[in-house]
Amino acid sequence: MTRAPAHEPPTARLSVSPATRRTVAIGLGVGLVAVLFALNAFAPGLMPDLPTRAQDGLTLSISVLIESLPFVVLGVVLSIVVQVWIPPGMIERWMPRRAWARRAVLSLLGMLIPVCECGNVPFARGLMMRGFSVPETLTFLVAAPIVNPIVIITTHQAFGFSDGILVARLLGGYAIANLIGWLYSRHPDPDALVTDRFRDACETVTHEAGDRWRRSLAQLVVELRAVMPALVIGAALAGAVQVLVPRNALLAIGSNPVFSIVAMVLLAMIVSICSNVDSFFALSFASTFTPGSIVAFLLVGPLVDVKMLALLRTTFTTKVLVGMVVTVLLAAFAIAAGVNLVA
Amino acid sequence: MSRRTALWNRWLGVGLASCLAVVTLGLALTGRLALYINPSSNWFAIPMAVLLLVGAGLSFLLPLGAEEDHGHDHDHGHDHGHRATGMRDAAGTASGILVDTPLDRRSARRVAEDPRPRAQGGGSGEGAAAHARTRTGRPAAVLAAAGGAAASLVALSILLLPPASLSAEIAQTRDVGAAPLFAGSDVVNLAVHGDTTAFGVGDWASVFATATNPDAFVGDTVTLTGFVTPGDDGTFDLTRLVITHCVIDAQPARVPIATGAKSPATGVWVSVAGTVRSTASGTLQIDATKVTPIDEPKDPYEY
Repeated sequence: MTRAPAHEPPTARLSVSPATRRTVAIGLGVGLVAVLFALNAFAPGLMPDLPTRAQDGLTLSISVLIESLPFVVLGVVLSIVVQVWIPPGMIERWMPRRAWARRAVLSLLGMLIPVCECGNVPFARGLMMRGFSVPETLTFLVAAPIVNPIVIITTHQAFGFSDGILVARLLGGYAIANLIGWLYSRHPDPDALVTDRFRDACETVTHEAGDRWRRSLAQLVVELRAVMPALVIGAALAGAVQVLVPRNALLAIGSNPVFSIVAMVLLAMIVSICSNVDSFFALSFASTFTPGSIVAFLLVGPLVDVKMLALLRTTFTTKVLVGMVVTVLLAAFAIAAGVNLVA
Repeated sequence: MSRRTALWNRWLGVGLASCLAVVTLGLALTGRLALYINPSSNWFAIPMAVLLLVGAGLSFLLPLGAEEDHGHDHDHGHDHGHRATGMRDAAGTASGILVDTPLDRRSARRVAEDPRPRAQGGGSGEGAAAHARTRTGRPAAVLAAAGGAAASLVALSILLLPPASLSAEIAQTRDVGAAPLFAGSDVVNLAVHGDTTAFGVGDWASVFATATNPDAFVGDTVTLTGFVTPGDDGTFDLTRLVITHCVIDAQPARVPIATGAKSPATGVWVSVAGTVRSTASGTLQIDATKVTPIDEPKDPYEY
């Protein structure tokens, strides 16, 4: 094996055998994890209390992070599977040729892969690194948090079929996803939609040398590097906004057919609840808010909330995000107004 | 890629994730994970945190910077190959992917394993220059560094500060006047026909808000735990935060408690024993026979 990096001085390779080096590396890893555990166990006793508000903000952020971390890990694992372990051509063989049909199938992929929005971003990055186009991946990314088995079950538990909320959510999510996919497929240069940073990561990962295990490790490192800072900052923002924006101010306008939609859309963007459970949260507003505004909440929340935007920014340019937000908001508003008219 | 940048990148990825996994497992080991998430999702959160730490440990096998180096010092032929595989246009056909992906991978591996092109460095200098041009400018770099620092600060305070539950203050600001309707009418049916001894504040709050025949509950004896928030005159509210999945979806549920004595201070945890009574205005409240201040319970939320 010529795995040892060539740019190190030759003496480094001569003096330490690969086996020893591996043992040292693993030992270092285990040691650092142990240090983290020790810090976590003993440091809190020495720390002063935070002011109530700051503490509440931190508590909210921690809960978002602890809740989303397993989904991020799942997303990274799936992205490693897609990128490294599934042989080339295996997925592609099943895909239709026509662009719109490919997008339609991809937007249903969420049905098979139960990752909610946090795990979605790393998985979608894996798809793009594999060779799926940007508009196709965007379609998956927007559809999957809504057209997702867990989300369908919890939404049904919360609302049943009353007021068409479940149906409007599913069809609406599917429609918005394909609308966004179609819009960006008209873009003259889809490669310009992603950030330079993602292009670097792509290059790194697709050209990673070594066996599959080594490539898996590299993908793990690269994906965590891309997602974690954004997730932490997004969660911190979500926590801070929740303690700073008074909720009553938003809720004073619940029964107006137009303003209730605006209020619930704003609430959805602020609270950043995982799409798996947001229907239970929305349920407690159902008695005071119009059904359309509930649908708007359920459509906007999973797609463009504060946390999700921070995550998406790792991969897509700001321009794309603005376009997405505008499209999602307009479409959600139209669907919600429709539901309000019918209900 | 300097050694310092490579280390910083590892910290921002594997490092931050490990901090959170360690916090998750630390809370789980001390039985305090319920401070943040519903215990019904522990089966998912705990193994995934373990998996992450295993991955983090193994990631030390990857030489520092190795995940960034490849691809950067290749020549333009590779750049082109990457465009073909990585960013395939929607028009690209499946057969195209079938053919050129393995070829491209193989050639990438060959170049990466061959030390000569790097040592000579002819094409690599050019590649690096092209790379530098696509890099974002100085303000963006400063912003990215600030973001990284902020994320580190948040992660470290999560690791180092003691865990806490949400305050009574936030329970009050989140009150929207409606009881959480998680169980809906089922709760009321159960309450009329069955056993109410296992009911918590959340269940009773739904019953009080939705009961169509409030008199059916009059005379039930209850023992409830919660914290105090201010109520109407002569009463205080016994409040509890109800969470579905994690603390961010916490919603307050409250029941009015009438007590002859002075109400305890806001935010104090109490255990209330009493009976359900209807008031002159036809709503329900609990007449307390005994109000005992207690320590905050280990599981401060209801689910």
